[in-house]
Amino acid sequence: MANYEFSQVSGDRPCCRLSRKAQICLGIGLLLLIASVVVAVILLWPRAPLVWEGKPTTKHFPEIFLGRCLVYTQILRPEMRDQDCKKILNTFKRAFVSKNPCNITKEDYEPLVQLVTQTLPCNKTLFWSKSKHLAHEYTWIQGKIFTLEDTLLGYIADDLMWCGDPSTSDMNYDSCPHWSENCPNNPVSLFWKVISQKFAEAACGVVQVMLNGSLSEPFYKNSTFGSVEVFNLDPNKVHKLQAWVMHDIEADSSNSCSGSSINELKLIVEKRNIAFACQDNYRPVRFVQCVKNPEHASCS
Amino acid sequence: MAAQGCTLSLWLWLWLWAPLLLPLLRGARAAAARWSGPGTTPHLQSIFLGRCAEYTTLLSLQPGNKNCTAIWEAFKVVLDKDPCSVLPSDYDLFINLSRHSIPRDKSLFWENNHLLVMSFSENTRRLMPLCDVLYGNVGDFLSWCRQENASGLDYQSCPTSEDCENNAVDSYWKSASMQYSRDSSGVINVMLNGSEPKGAYPVKGFFADFEIPYLQKDKITRIEIWVMHEVGGPIVESCGEGSVKILEDRLEALGFQHSCINDYRPVKFLMCVDHSTHPDCVMNSASASTQRESPSLFTAVHASLIISLLVALTSSSQV
Repeated sequence: MANYEFSQVSGDRPCCRLSRKAQICLGIGLLLLIASVVVAVILLWPRAPLVWEGKPTTKHFPEIFLGRCLVYTQILRPEMRDQDCKKILNTFKRAFVSKNPCNITKEDYEPLVQLVTQTLPCNKTLFWSKSKHLAHEYTWIQGKIFTLEDTLLGYIADDLMWCGDPSTSDMNYDSCPHWSENCPNNPVSLFWKVISQKFAEAACGVVQVMLNGSLSEPFYKNSTFGSVEVFNLDPNKVHKLQAWVMHDIEADSSNSCSGSSINELKLIVEKRNIAFACQDNYRPVRFVQCVKNPEHASCS
Repeated sequence: MAAQGCTLSLWLWLWLWAPLLLPLLRGARAAAARWSGPGTTPHLQSIFLGRCAEYTTLLSLQPGNKNCTAIWEAFKVVLDKDPCSVLPSDYDLFINLSRHSIPRDKSLFWENNHLLVMSFSENTRRLMPLCDVLYGNVGDFLSWCRQENASGLDYQSCPTSEDCENNAVDSYWKSASMQYSRDSSGVINVMLNGSEPKGAYPVKGFFADFEIPYLQKDKITRIEIWVMHEVGGPIVESCGEGSVKILEDRLEALGFQHSCINDYRPVKFLMCVDHSTHPDCVMNSASASTQRESPSLFTAVHASLIISLLVALTSSSQV
């Protein structure tokens, strides 16, 4: 009998050519390859931005931002002519682009705040609460007193809307979080909170606040003034807060300096070692209201 | 050795004379401003585009897409022209692309009170002066011109009417003024400065030469003139006086119904914001601003009624 048996040659059966170890290695390698392809697809595949209920980023936002910055620094306040508006825009955007617009923090806006410093003269700060239009009409004509929106950053951002999205480095021009969507840490709210705080911290001397006397609560604790600005005034720099309680010309006078809402403000301010004074229908601001109602009794 | 001596003396010479020469050179450079007006506003294009975007996005009263890039392209052709050869017609395409309608009764013409006009108009909410119309808004407070002998903008100075008539900025405002007049309708308001020493109505000016002639009589109901005086300021002219009378006579001759008010109350309140305790700012209805009107049909009817009444009274008393 011929002494030959067929030995198991690797070429005969390809699937069993490899050793067990090699098979395992190959299997794992294949799995890893598939996994990395899947991950790459997930990461690189263009995703749609998150959808929100609120108005989107203002159309032509970068052009409007840059234009306003340049008008402010070159024309309105030429002492700030050396500010680099393109840099300010880029630093501003970095606070919120490529991020989830509900996860914005104060620190995100810190580089912007460091970049733009504007010192205002003492006794020239005007806060406002529920009286924005009237306050701005007053500062525009008076020219020497500043609301937040008369500072560079406030001027640029007033009435604009913006937000980003994790899927893109561009701003979201489709939608942004609405206040009703339980998203308090959105880019716009955080921005105003941060610069309101800085505005209050920098104030000195006698500061003013314009309140709306035609509301049931002229001083509203949950407003930006009531929750941020009042508590960030520095008692070492600010020795007095003067409130102007303005009533609508047409409406009947309701709350005034002697009301409970203003008294609440008085207590808060005095507790912080700042003197408090109040005036009903401060005359220069009343004149602004009289422009629309020149024949009204209180305009005589 | 001689060469070294020469170099040394050259250096000595420079060291001695430099303190005198340098200031002269610097002064010479500064004195070399070619024209009498401010130079091109830095970042002109970005400001222009930003304002255009803001106007068409945030202030827009009507639908219809304005292409800000195209508007800029049309505007910037003047930046390639000789600074004293820019005509109002060079802005025709720019005006054509940026033109939009002006709401009836909302036009406000003015002379010598730019800031007051801006405050009173409230950013198109109350009235719409030329600086609140797109083709007036983009260029407001800006300056621009090409260099005299080179391409590129002149940032040092730009010509005014003192230097030459056909300069870029004046031609812009002439062109914009003419269009603004053509598109105005209803009640036309004119705010003049009665404290201006040279007269409230400049007989040669944008209003006189580039606005009045282009008003469309068939679209206009009447013209109301407000002569404002500075708080505590000099009363140089009032309604019916001086150059204001010249204006009133001209409007009369052109066939416009017109009236004139001294210190129009709503504007006066605005001027008084910063002077609330000044005696000029004690506003009572009794001292209401005085009014002069053109002899209108209404007045004529009124007069004839009074005459008839008087005649009736006298005749009845004779009986």
